[in-house]
Amino acid sequence: MRLEKCWFCSSTVYPGHGIQFVRNDAKIFHFCRSKCHKNFKMKRNPRKVKWTKAYRRLHGKDMTQDSTFEFERKRNRPERYDRNLAENTLKAIKKIDKIRSDRASDHIKNRLKTGKVQRQKEARKQLELGIHLVKAPLALAQDSSLCLLKIKVNVSQAQTEENQPMEE
Amino acid sequence: MVQNNFKKITVVPNGKDFIDVILSRTQRQTPTVVHKGYAISRLRQFYMRKVKYTQQNFHEKLSTIIDEFPCLDDIQSILWSLISKIAKDYVKLLKYGDLLCRCKSLKVAALGRMCTVIKRIGPSLAYLEQIRQHMARLPSIDPNTRTMLICGYPNVGKSSFMNKITRADVDVQPYAFTTKSLFVGHTDYKYLRYQVIDTPGILDRPFEDRNIIEMCSITVLAHLRAAVLFFLDISGSCGYSISQQAALFHSIKSLFMNKPLIIVCNKTDLQPLDGISEADRKLVMEMKGEAMKTVIGVLLIMSTLTEDGVIAVKNAACERLLNQRVELKMKSKKINDCLNRFCVALPKPRDQKERPACIPQAVLETKAKQAAEKEKRKTEKDLEDENGGAGVYSASLRKNYILSNDEWKEDIMPEILDGHNVYDFIDPDILLRLEELEHEEDLSPEEQEALAEIRKKKSLLIQQHRMKKSTAESRPVVPRKFDTDRKFTTERMGRQLSSLGLDPSLAINRARSKSRGRKRERSVDRRDGDDGDAMDIDDNQASKKLRLRSTSRSRSRSRPPSEVVPGEGLKDSAQKVKTIKLAKKSVLKRNKNARRGEADRVIPTLKPKHLFSGKRSIGKTQRQ
Repeated sequence: MRLEKCWFCSSTVYPGHGIQFVRNDAKIFHFCRSKCHKNFKMKRNPRKVKWTKAYRRLHGKDMTQDSTFEFERKRNRPERYDRNLAENTLKAIKKIDKIRSDRASDHIKNRLKTGKVQRQKEARKQLELGIHLVKAPLALAQDSSLCLLKIKVNVSQAQTEENQPMEE
Repeated sequence: MVQNNFKKITVVPNGKDFIDVILSRTQRQTPTVVHKGYAISRLRQFYMRKVKYTQQNFHEKLSTIIDEFPCLDDIQSILWSLISKIAKDYVKLLKYGDLLCRCKSLKVAALGRMCTVIKRIGPSLAYLEQIRQHMARLPSIDPNTRTMLICGYPNVGKSSFMNKITRADVDVQPYAFTTKSLFVGHTDYKYLRYQVIDTPGILDRPFEDRNIIEMCSITVLAHLRAAVLFFLDISGSCGYSISQQAALFHSIKSLFMNKPLIIVCNKTDLQPLDGISEADRKLVMEMKGEAMKTVIGVLLIMSTLTEDGVIAVKNAACERLLNQRVELKMKSKKINDCLNRFCVALPKPRDQKERPACIPQAVLETKAKQAAEKEKRKTEKDLEDENGGAGVYSASLRKNYILSNDEWKEDIMPEILDGHNVYDFIDPDILLRLEELEHEEDLSPEEQEALAEIRKKKSLLIQQHRMKKSTAESRPVVPRKFDTDRKFTTERMGRQLSSLGLDPSLAINRARSKSRGRKRERSVDRRDGDDGDAMDIDDNQASKKLRLRSTSRSRSRSRPPSEVVPGEGLKDSAQKVKTIKLAKKSVLKRNKNARRGEADRVIPTLKPKHLFSGKRSIGKTQRQ
């Protein structure tokens, strides 16, 4: 019993699910559900279909190269059963999984970080420029409790002492 | 003359067919076309050829027929001479034929006369054909080979005996004369083939009254040189009494001359030999006596129904026949030639010692053991049968697995875990690789804590070192045993070791046992001052002391050292600097010698040993 990868979307095909198609040149295609199967029959290229893993990897959305991928490799030579080895393998799988998923999420976070920073910068700029639409500048200057901006104050001893209680 | 293969005789054609065949052959095989205008010699030749050809053909065919038939010699010559005479006459006439038509008519006449001759013998040909057909159906008997004849009254069991020892499937029925003609079967004995001939039953009648069927058996008995098995029905269930059978025996015993005779008492399952009446027994004994008188005779009992004794009879008959034949051969002249060709080579025995085949004891033992094992070994099938049969018991396939540890034989290993195939991850050094992987990752919080502690401790050490360095100039280099600050104590060692996580008790005990009882060394009092002999490396105390003692720390209370405080009596900062310098210089030498003050002139050891003893490598030892 083996878990296969769907040829189209690269998700795992569990036993009892999906369809296997064997072509005349003896190449076997596994599909996880009829959606992938029908897309295949329409001759669509998974690398161009946005929701597939192939697309995401190709366009750098998901992590491509990592040492954690080296652990999972189809082995054709059977190994003699060893209980300790089996135990270690099972424990290792969990750890490797965790590390891989952490790295993958880091990858995505990094990718999204520049966007986030940029959005923040834009937001700040917009706040500065557009506050006059919401509050009159004169009103803001007078009533410091309603200030939304940071007031630039000269640093001197007395004033810093004043500021400290306010900040707290 | 082929005697055995009656089946292979060619079909004898009847008269008309014969003629047709010959004439058409003549027409085909000889040239057919001839013209008037040819030379006369050529014409003559042409027709002569035809006549001759026809004559030859007739001759050939007739001679083949006659040859194949066993006994028609005289007819052959007559026919042949007739036809050749005709042919010769007409050939002579043809020699003088002058015209085409004359030659042709001569030829026609010749052929015609030959054909009439054949037509005349047409009925005989038909008769021959019938004979041929009849003969083809006869069984092929080789008169020269080893033969066994079975004879006796009807229904005594001859055919059933035949069925038992050969593969012949002869009809066996309760009525008499079931077997109407001869049947031949073959059997083997000592790697030789024996013919067994089954005959129809013979009744006790005068020779002239016998019918055709009986004559078959008689003829065969008379002419074949074979072993004779005379069958006797002991029980009388054939319908004829023993006396009748005995009478028959006596009447045909003349035919048994020079033939190995065996009297076979059949049907002993119905009536054992011992149970017959006195008179009958007497008759049987008489027959036996007769048999003994001939070449080699014997009486045997058997029953074809129970197959009891059948093989014995066959073996006896074959044996006797073989012996007789061998004897005869030995007596004949041909034997000398044969003997010359045989030579049996035996190795010459060296001495009287017997040397049988040598089988090592080990081989015998293993053979015996194997045999025992084979019986005792329990097969999987036996195991299955014991535990409930095929549907109930399922064999344990893992029983004979070869593993490092036999406890693992019944282990169930998962094939799938969290959406991964476990087999894809199996690697003997997976642990190593996992470690490497984890190294690539960031440090865990525990590791980071430990790292922070390490850094803190390291920074403390560095601070202490720096302080030592700054006052190194005016600090004395005192050996550890003069423990000024009393910091090298066992309690301190214990505290440090326990903070590292070790158990200090052993170390403390050892230190205490090893230390010599010293008198209290001259302890140097603690002093205030910039020189700060008080350098304690203990963690918490150190920093506290440093904070209290050092005067150069907090900025809020510090003054630059060169600043002149009014009231000191110095001119300016330069002068102050110089003063400080001079002051330090004066103290330096004293501090270096670990002197407490100006007045400290103590000599700890007046005569240190190393200065007052020992040889010199070079120089004198007068003053040391």
